Amino acid sequence: MSVPPSDAELAKEALAGSDAASRALIARYATPAVNFVFRFVHDRALAEDLAQEGFLRVFQRLNTYDPERKFSSWFFQVVRNVTIDHLRVNRLATTSLDELKEAGFEGAAADQTSSSPEHLAGQGELAGALEQALARLRPEYREVVVLRYQEGLTHPEISEILGLPSGTVKTYLHRARKELASILSSKGWGPRLNV
Amino acid sequence: MQDREQLERWLASEATGQEDAADAAFAHLFAAVPKVEPGAEFVDRTTARVWGERTRRRRVAVFGWAAALVIAAAGSLAGYLAAAPVSAWAVKTGVQVMSHAMPWLVAYATEAMTLWWVAARVGNHIAIAIATPPRAAALVAVELVGIFAFFALQRLVRLELRGEAHV
Repeated sequence: MSVPPSDAELAKEALAGSDAASRALIARYATPAVNFVFRFVHDRALAEDLAQEGFLRVFQRLNTYDPERKFSSWFFQVVRNVTIDHLRVNRLATTSLDELKEAGFEGAAADQTSSSPEHLAGQGELAGALEQALARLRPEYREVVVLRYQEGLTHPEISEILGLPSGTVKTYLHRARKELASILSSKGWGPRLNV
Repeated sequence: MQDREQLERWLASEATGQEDAADAAFAHLFAAVPKVEPGAEFVDRTTARVWGERTRRRRVAVFGWAAALVIAAAGSLAGYLAAAPVSAWAVKTGVQVMSHAMPWLVAYATEAMTLWWVAARVGNHIAIAIATPPRAAALVAVELVGIFAFFALQRLVRLELRGEAHV
């Protein structure tokens, strides 16, 4: 049984012009990229477009990738920059969901109140409640939660992606969990916590 | 049911401030949240765009090199043809300008040096008059206070920007 090539190996082959390696890299990171961007924009089509832009930028700058670094950290950094650039150009605040809603960004606001029954049907009730609560967090808290608990990145890796000190990442994670606990408690999922 | 127990465990860990336990329990719980999957054609579409972009960049690079070579060759040819008359004119004009400008340059430099020495002597006398040890000490102290205030302000602004001012 052969070991699948590492991200760095695929990146090296893709840089040398291998279409198969490029495709393998895209297939490997398609879901993480779309999932990550979706947590900012709450619109699947837009998330796919921005993830695609992210891939384009990644392949354009593949020659600047340092194989000593973890590929996923570099990749998420690029995709995040593409997303933030888009939000800036479209004058959407990245600080709070309320501001997004005020800016008329209906996609982002939609998850604040409820998710569609069809959306919730395919997942557990608690998972649905967690997803709704996640959508209510500040974007900076939301991204550390997704990177840590969905992509399984470590604190130093997240800190590298976001350009923040590791201590700040830990603080954000702590506060994000507290807020999620508070939101879930207020929805009747457990005892209310004082945040 | 198992999720509910995990939820209770996480909420209890958060309430009692057990950071590691809360982290582990929440990670277990959050694994149930589904990832947002791209459409079935996303990989094909993205791969096609990446390949298309790569081909376009190669074409642009080839065109760029070809254009650079043509321009360089044309420039060299034009330079070779124009070199003889232009260089003679340039050397002649340069010598004329230099020979006319040199006396003026020397005269202005001399005048400037005289003024500089006058200013230096005046400054020296003023410094001797006011630079007593107590005044110098007061001046250094004021500068130190200013530097410290600037450093503290910079730290505060940096913390504020990172949102850590109240941590």
